[in-house]
Amino acid sequence: MELPEPLERLIAELSRLPGVGPKTAQRLAFHVLRGDRVRADALAAALVDLKDRIGYCSRCFNIAEGDLCAICSSGRRDEALLCVVEAPLDVLAIERTAEYRGLYHVLHGVLSPIDNVGPEDIHVPELLERLAESTVEEVIVATNPDIEGEATAVYLQRAIAPLGLRVTRPAHGLPFGGDLEYADEMTLARAMSGRRPL
Amino acid sequence: MRLVSLTLRNFRNYPRLELELAPQLNVFLGRNAQGKTNLLESVAILALSSSPRARRESELIGPLAAEATVEASVERHGRPLEMAMRISSEGDRTSKMIRVNGAPRRAVDLPGELQATLFWPEDLSLVKGGPEHRRRFLNELLVQVEPGYGRALAAYRRVLEQRNHLLKRISAGQAEAAQLEVWDEELIRLTAVIGSSREEAVRELGPLAAANQAAISPGERLDVAYAGPPPDFAQALATARSEDLRRGSTGLGPHRDDLVIRIGEQEARSFASQGQQRTAVVSLKLAESDLIERRSGERPVLLLDDVLSELDAARRAALLAQVGSGGQVIVTSVEAEPFPASLIELARVLCIEAGQVSPCG
Repeated sequence: MELPEPLERLIAELSRLPGVGPKTAQRLAFHVLRGDRVRADALAAALVDLKDRIGYCSRCFNIAEGDLCAICSSGRRDEALLCVVEAPLDVLAIERTAEYRGLYHVLHGVLSPIDNVGPEDIHVPELLERLAESTVEEVIVATNPDIEGEATAVYLQRAIAPLGLRVTRPAHGLPFGGDLEYADEMTLARAMSGRRPL
Repeated sequence: MRLVSLTLRNFRNYPRLELELAPQLNVFLGRNAQGKTNLLESVAILALSSSPRARRESELIGPLAAEATVEASVERHGRPLEMAMRISSEGDRTSKMIRVNGAPRRAVDLPGELQATLFWPEDLSLVKGGPEHRRRFLNELLVQVEPGYGRALAAYRRVLEQRNHLLKRISAGQAEAAQLEVWDEELIRLTAVIGSSREEAVRELGPLAAANQAAISPGERLDVAYAGPPPDFAQALATARSEDLRRGSTGLGPHRDDLVIRIGEQEARSFASQGQQRTAVVSLKLAESDLIERRSGERPVLLLDDVLSELDAARRAALLAQVGSGGQVIVTSVEAEPFPASLIELARVLCIEAGQVSPCG
C-alpha cells in the first residue's frame, strides 16, 4: 500500500536522524499521527525554536543562546585550564561531574581523512589562535579513546607544543564501582600499564 | 572442546534447526546447494565472530526474516558455555548482538570462546593461491588464541584506510603532509603488535606442520617461514613515503605479509606438484588445530566442508585420524563413500535436504 504524501514525507525526514532506521521512523510517524494535535504542534514548535534560538559560541563552539556560551561568559571559570572535546554532549558530561572548573573548546568532529575531515574542519586553527592570546596554561585533550580520537589528540599535542603549554590527556582506567573481572582486555591492559603508586 | 548442540533460526536456508551433536564424528550428507556449507558456516561464525564467506552480513539472514539467530551449547574444559548471536538488519545496516553465558559480548572479543578449525574447499588454494589466503589463515588462527589480536587487526585496518585516504588528499593538495605523522605513529605501533604475534605463531606452527607432512608423506620436508614487515619498520615507512604518496596507498606493513612455504629446498607455491601442495594444505590446517590445542590445552572442533572427496586416501586418513585423537569433527560430504566403515559406525550420520536435517534414508 502506498502511504499518503505527508506521512511519507515525515518518515523520510525522521529516518535522516542518527540511529533511526526506516522501521523506527515509521513507528514514530504513526505515533505522532495517533497523538493529540497539541503534541504535534509542540514538537514542531520545539524544533523551529531550537534552530532559531540556539547557535554556537563564537569562542569555544559550545552551544550558545547568544554570541558567547554560558561557560565563556561566566567570568567564574578557571581561565588557566582548557579542555578540548569532540562534541557539545561531552561538555555536558564533564560539567555534570562538577569536578572541572576550566574552559572548553568543542571540535565538532575528529580528524578523519576517510570523511575528508582535516584540522581546518574541526576548529583547530581557531583553537591555536585562541591559545596564543590567552591565559591558558594547560590544555586537556579529552577526545574519545578510539582510533580517530587518539590520532586527533596526537595531532593537537604536536600543534600546541610550539606554544610551550602543558598538554595532558585524561587517564584511562577501570570504571568506578565496576568489577575487575568484567573489564574488557583493552581497558584492563591500559589500566595496568597506567598504574600509579598508592 | 566440543559442540553439544546448535540451534539456528532464519539462518540462510535454515528456517529452524535444532541439532544435537555427537562427541566425536558427525557426518552430514547431502547434494550440493542443500545447506551443508551454511551449517558449518554458522559454527565458524561463533568461532570467529564473522563469516569467513559472506560478503555482506545481511546475506546470513534468511528470506522474509528481519533477523537470524545462531545459538550453541559448548563444552569447554568440561564446563558448559552458552553462546548466542543475533544478526539483525534494518535498512542497509546489519548489527550483531552476542551473548556468552547470558552476558553481552563485543564481536571483537568473541573469538577464543568456541575454538574451531574450518577447512573448506577454498583452503585448497592456501599454498598455491595469493598471499591473502595465507594472511587469512594466520588471522583466523591468531584471533582464536591471542586475546587482543582481533582488536589490533581491526585498528590496523582502520588506520591503514585513514592513511591511504590522507596520502591521496596530500597528493591532490587538499591536506598538509604533517598530518601523516599522526597516522604513521599508530601504524608503527600496531605493526609491531601484529608482526610479533604472527612471527611467534609461525615459529610454533612450522615444526607442527612439518611433523604432519612427514606423517602423511614420509621423507617430505615441509618448512614454513614468516615473511613480515621490514625489521626497522619506522625507518622503512619514512623512506617509502614519497613512493606511497605517488601511489596513493601504503606499500609496507602487515597487510603485505606472506608465508614462505617450502618442500625440500623448493618453494611449494611454484614448484611443488598438486599432490604435494594438497598435503601441505592438510598439514598446515592440522597444525592450526595442534597450535590451538597447545595454547589452550584442548583440541578445537574440526569443521571439514566437502574437502574429503578432493583428497586421496593418505591425506583423508590423516584428517580422519583426528576422530580418534579426542577432537570433535564435523564433516559434510556429498557421498558417504570417502568414510571407512569403521568410522561410520562411530559417527552420527544425518542427511541435509533443502535446509532440513534428518536421519538418512
